[in-house]
Order: sequence, then structure tokens, then C-alpha cells
Amino acid sequence: MSIEEHAKSVPVLSFPRQTLVSLLVFAVAWETLSHLSPYLGIPPFAVPSLVKIAQSVTTITPIDVAVTLARVIGALVVSFALGLVLAMAMYRSERLDNYLHPMIRILMAVPVVSWILFAVLWFPGVEFRIGFVLVVVCGPVFLIDTLDAMRAVPRELRHMIQSFRPTAPQFFVKLMLPAIVPTIFTSWKVNISLAIRVVTIAELVGAVTGIGHQLSVAQELFSVSDVFAWTVVLVALLFLLEAVVARIEARVLRWRP
Amino acid sequence: MNARTSGPPPIEVRGLRKVFRQTTTGQAVVAIDRLDLTIQPKEVIAIVGQTGCGKSTFFDLMIGLDAPTEGYIHIGGKSPFADFDSFRGKIATVFQQDRLLPWRSALDNAKLPLELMGLPEDEQRERALTWLTRLGLSQFTNAYPHELSGGMRQRVAIARAFAVEPDILLADEAFGHLDEVTAAELRETFLQLARERGSTAILITHQLEEAIAVGDRIAVFGKSAKLLADIHVGRWDVNDYGMLREAIQATLQAQKADPRLAQDMTGR
Repeated sequence: MSIEEHAKSVPVLSFPRQTLVSLLVFAVAWETLSHLSPYLGIPPFAVPSLVKIAQSVTTITPIDVAVTLARVIGALVVSFALGLVLAMAMYRSERLDNYLHPMIRILMAVPVVSWILFAVLWFPGVEFRIGFVLVVVCGPVFLIDTLDAMRAVPRELRHMIQSFRPTAPQFFVKLMLPAIVPTIFTSWKVNISLAIRVVTIAELVGAVTGIGHQLSVAQELFSVSDVFAWTVVLVALLFLLEAVVARIEARVLRWRP
Repeated sequence: MNARTSGPPPIEVRGLRKVFRQTTTGQAVVAIDRLDLTIQPKEVIAIVGQTGCGKSTFFDLMIGLDAPTEGYIHIGGKSPFADFDSFRGKIATVFQQDRLLPWRSALDNAKLPLELMGLPEDEQRERALTWLTRLGLSQFTNAYPHELSGGMRQRVAIARAFAVEPDILLADEAFGHLDEVTAAELRETFLQLARERGSTAILITHQLEEAIAVGDRIAVFGKSAKLLADIHVGRWDVNDYGMLREAIQATLQAQKADPRLAQDMTGR
């Protein structure tokens, strides 16, 4: 299969007929509900028509989208780097693993809202607060996924490469890292979705830019169509990032049967 | 290919003992019990024994992936475990399964040990290509492992080992899972290349025909790698190979040297 064929087979990038049909059915149902809402006892502003939502989409400020995107990508890169380095250290040192593992499980059990409140209490800078929340939520996911993947590298392959006597860095670069690349891509896809949701909540608290902030403004103005418009942008952003990762994945993992 | 400047070192195994402790019961399992064996430079020795007799443990100790509980293996006076790094580029292995890295092409798999040895990129490529070509894979250098047949993958694994141009070649049931025609062909190639290189070769196998076909010597392992017989195949007439095979089989069944192998147990 060529890269192009493989890329076409990735669900995120393709737009099959079934997807179009389900979207169309949803749009018709929504529009119908919007028109019938006064008769159903629902306030008209609660279910804005698609035209109104589309009008709100045209008023979206690209700078807020760019700021949120930058926060997400920046935090994911830092989370991934930290997760990878710590996973490598924990793979090599059982003692370190024994010390850190319980702490990481605790970090993962803390609700996002608690992290946001801690960030507000601990740090004065808005950007640092948002970055902290994203890293503390996404970092452990990268770490655990990477560590599990390293431990799943077949013993036969580890023995094979060890029989040729690699140095410790060579062992990681020639075997472990390439072997865990498929898991790294999966982890990125999971974390993109997580980061998009978390950044929105983090931006609701204290930020003066970003999609979360704009959602907060729309809520204060009772502009439901704006809330929907920003939500549509968020979903589109998530799909876009996933599509980019899927395309890179198809290229990097072209060796897969 | 580089010409060898000095021959491979002798291998001395003395009082070798390996004991494992079972994780569930804590019980000690003696995998190898006081093995003595000397392997001369450039010798091709086949090690035969039944499943679970300690052949693979011996293989791991020879590579240096594990430490002996007692005794030692010395290759040219050095331990493959304690002096692990000093054997880089000196020992190469062919495993039962090809153990190719699925994300690397045939060429890149054959290059792998050369990258670990830190050879210049040109030399890595040249050596890997030379050995892949010698093994009949010149048309498949860019193919990924999943695009190759089992026999072709094992050829890449052999090319990977020979590309190291090692003093000592180890093969653990390397041809056992292939069909007989491919196995015989690869066995022949392996032997020819090992002799041409002047490498010491240690083949672990459970197939007696294979052991008789390739070995200058055959070490017959009983339980816990007890050396039941140390056969110098050259002393046997080709016409008596059938009897030799039967004698080895009888030795393995009785767990003691068959009288027909008496000449090979002198001094034991």
C-alpha cells in the first residue's frame, strides 16, 4: 500500500457517504427542533437555527483560535518530552519506577477542576497556569503509555540487539524508540482530544484570550449561537489536529503491513 | 570483506553451573550442572540435546546475556558476561526466529550490528550489501521483513550475523523452523561462509542429521547440560553416519553414553 493509499484509508481523513448522511440527518433534526422549540416549551435562543450558528461562525476571531492552538501544541510537546524522558528513566531503573509509579497514579486520579483551582492558587501568571494544568493532565498519560509500550517490546528483539552489544543510548535509539512509535502516535491522538477539552476549561478561569475565554464571554451574553459556533470551531480544531497526526503516522509507519 | 589478521580465540568452559529460582515456588532449578568443554579456534561444534536440557541457557551464557552461577566461560581469557563490551564485533548470533526489526528494510537490518559497532556509513552499506548479495537477496535489499518469505528473512538474519565478520558465530536452532530444502540450503551456506571466514561456529540444534552434517564435533547434552558424549565426527566414516545417529539417539534416551561412542568419551 502506498503512503497515499494508506492516508486515504485513515478514517479521520476520509469522508464516507455514511458520515455525510449522519451529519445531514443531524442537521435536519437540529433545524426542525430549532423551528419547533417555541411549541415544545423550549426558549427559542436555546436552540439557534443553523443559519444563526453559521453567522456566529463568521464572527470567530482567528487570534483566539491561534492562541488556544498554540497552548495545546506547546503543552503537548512539553508533556510528551517529559513523559518520554521519565519513562526511559523508569524503564532503566526499577527503583525509580517503584518511587514514581504511585505518585503518577495519584496525579492521574486528581480531577481536572482540582488542578485548575490549584493552578489559580499557586501561580500568578495565566499562561503558566494553563500550561501547568495541561502538562499535569497530559504528561502522565504520555508517560504511562510510553512505559507500557517499552515493557511490551518483545524479549526476543531485546535479546537480539543486546547480543550485538549496543551502548545504552544505542539500545534506546535503535530498538526501543522505533518499537514504541505506534504507541506514541496513539497516545498523541488520545492526548490531543484530552488537551482540547482541558484547555477550554482552563481558559474559562482567568484567561483573557482563547476559545475557552470566548465561550465564557458568550455565556455571559446569553449568546447560545456563539457558544455553538465556538464549539464547532473546537471540534473542527480537534479533527484537524487528529488528521495531521494521522497523516504523519501514515508516513512514519509505512513499514507496517 | 576484511581479511582476518589473527584467528579466533579458544573457548574454555570450566565447572559451568547455572541455577534459576522459580518465581512462583522459589524452588531452585539447575539448568547447567558443572559443564566442562573446550572449543578450539575455527572449530564447528554442534550441541544436541532434548528440549529443556540447558542448550538455550548455555547459548545465553555464551552470548554474555546472563552470568554463570558458578564456573566460567572464557573466550580468549575473557568472560563474555563480565567483559561484555570487549566482545562487540567479535560474536554474532543467528536465532531460531529471524528476529528482524519490522521497521527496517533488509539492508537496514543487515546494517544494524555495524551501526552499533560505529563503522563508517559507507562501510556499513558495503558490507551489508555484500552479504545480502552472497545470500541471494540483492533484489530485495529495500524490502521490509513482512514482504519476505520465512527463508528469505532467515537469510537476512544470517547476513546480519556474517556482516559483523565475527570470530565466533552462534546459531540457536537457526534452521529448525524452515522447510527441509530451505534449511539444508541455508545450513550449507552457513557452514561454507563460516569456514571461509575462519570463524568458530557453535550450532545448537535438536536435529541429529543437522548436527552430523555440519559439526566437526558434536557435544551431546543430557539433563542439566551434562556432557554425555563429545564426538569428533571426522573420526567416523561417512558410511557409519547412520550408526552414529542411532548411537546419539540411544545416548539421549538412556542419558548415558552409548557403547558405540566409547571412542569419543576417552578420558571421561
